[in-house]
Amino acid sequence: MSILLQAKNISKSFGNKQALKNVSFEISKGAPVALVGPNGAGKTTLFSILCGYLAPSSGQVELFSRAPNHSSNLSRLGALPQDAQLDPRFAINHQLKFYAQLQGLSRKNAQIEAERVLELVQLSDVLNEKPLSLSHGMRKRVAIAQALIGSPELILLDEATAGLDPLHAREVRSLVANLADETTFILSSHDLNELERLCEQVLFLENGVLQQHQTSNTENSTHCYTLRMAHEQPNIGGALQSISADIKVTKISNKEYVITAPASGLNLSIDVEVLKLCHQNNWHYKQLINGKTLEDKLFS
Amino acid sequence: MQQSVKRVGCLAQFEITRLCLTKSGVLSLLAFATAWLIILYYPVNYAVEWVYSDSLKDIARDIFGAFGISELLNWPVPEIAMYWLIALFLYPIFAIIISSDQTCADRARGTLRFITLRASRTEIIYGRFLGQVLILTGLIALTLIASVIIAVMRDSSLISVAFSLSFFVFFELVIVILPFIALMSFFNSFSNSSRKSIIYVGLFYGLLPMIFALLESYVGQLSYLYYIFPGIQLSNIINPTDIELSFHLLPLIQMLVLLVLSQFLMKRTSI
Repeated sequence: MSILLQAKNISKSFGNKQALKNVSFEISKGAPVALVGPNGAGKTTLFSILCGYLAPSSGQVELFSRAPNHSSNLSRLGALPQDAQLDPRFAINHQLKFYAQLQGLSRKNAQIEAERVLELVQLSDVLNEKPLSLSHGMRKRVAIAQALIGSPELILLDEATAGLDPLHAREVRSLVANLADETTFILSSHDLNELERLCEQVLFLENGVLQQHQTSNTENSTHCYTLRMAHEQPNIGGALQSISADIKVTKISNKEYVITAPASGLNLSIDVEVLKLCHQNNWHYKQLINGKTLEDKLFS
Repeated sequence: MQQSVKRVGCLAQFEITRLCLTKSGVLSLLAFATAWLIILYYPVNYAVEWVYSDSLKDIARDIFGAFGISELLNWPVPEIAMYWLIALFLYPIFAIIISSDQTCADRARGTLRFITLRASRTEIIYGRFLGQVLILTGLIALTLIASVIIAVMRDSSLISVAFSLSFFVFFELVIVILPFIALMSFFNSFSNSSRKSIIYVGLFYGLLPMIFALLESYVGQLSYLYYIFPGIQLSNIINPTDIELSFHLLPLIQMLVLLVLSQFLMKRTSI
């Protein structure tokens, strides 16, 4: 699989504060990648370094095997920087067309491309509006549209759904899912459910240190299921354990359990047995998740 | 390379659009037009009276002589001579004001982040610089044409000599303003507002000469240091007969040095 992005021992300091400490990872072409971490963890700094807006204090970033600012990388990377705004003095169409023309499109094709990307974020009707006449959420979606111009190979979205209403956040998620076959996305968000649905690879930053770098394939020796109940059931722990002596049931909360089973050698389909158990006892379950939730992976 | 030139052209074109299609751009143009209307109507229009009227001729000769610019009174088209005298000192100021926001507002707003994904920082510097050069060149051409029209309306036989003088004035003025625009590119490479860029210009022309004078008091004559100031040659070129090649080379070298410095700084600045 081709490597799109490689970060080698990146550190970044602002005065005495070290925002990133020896961060190393690589991202290959494929499913979306999540960048997770608490506020002040260094996510935006990392994004800025990956996009070439900031230079690292030490370490090296290679984007498509070159430095991020290398001219051969122009237009291959799309980005939604967290606080960047479009020029309030020009109509959205004018600005998107300008960006498309900078990417080498003719005036006519730039117009078509501007309309296409606005259509993708369901904002075709604001083509001739100026950014200040739009709501915060709409401006965010226009900025996402800007990142999609020219279908770049890699798109970095920093807090893409922050500030969007649930309907439009869902539309952005489905947009990312639909485009994921042709474009690799790196998404930063505080919404772990969102990232869980979209991403297979997770970069977890905390205090500037990359704590975990995992993919969905990391759980090899055991297999996990997460059961979320609609209501609290007093005897469910014991009942789940009764499915097999080889499984381990962990209570995460009053309504959530993680069932860990050996990946091989068990003649039972644990998920089927769990569903049977719920059905027999007339227990209402909310979700049965194949694996641990991202939240459990990162914080338990 | 071809793509790079295309991007520089695209950025320059956007600069022109920015001046013509935005409220702040149109207001600047209106202020500029008003100032030039006054200049064209009074000093340029009445220049001929100064030169040909018996009562004012001697006064004009005395004043111009005192400043060492009596050569201008011999120009066959006094309107263009007056235009030259005023434009030579006004256009550098216009250049500083009009080109004070090349990248700084975009940097403050974050728009520069969108642009740097599509154009290199070097292309942005040169594209914006080229855009400003085209804008100011256009303004010089327009005001110069207006001066020629005033002269020709007075005496239509002056048309050919007025145009040939205009070409000379146009060429000289364009060379004069280039380093001023480059100076603003330089200050824009680290400033985040046009107001700050203009303050930097004030400090550049106000503080540096004082520092140089102080240095000179310790180490002796350092006159070559003053060559860093765009416009240092202006007083030497008022009399067109005094113009030497070095007065053309100096602003061009200043422009190149300032653009290379802008490029260097822009590449290293966080955006």
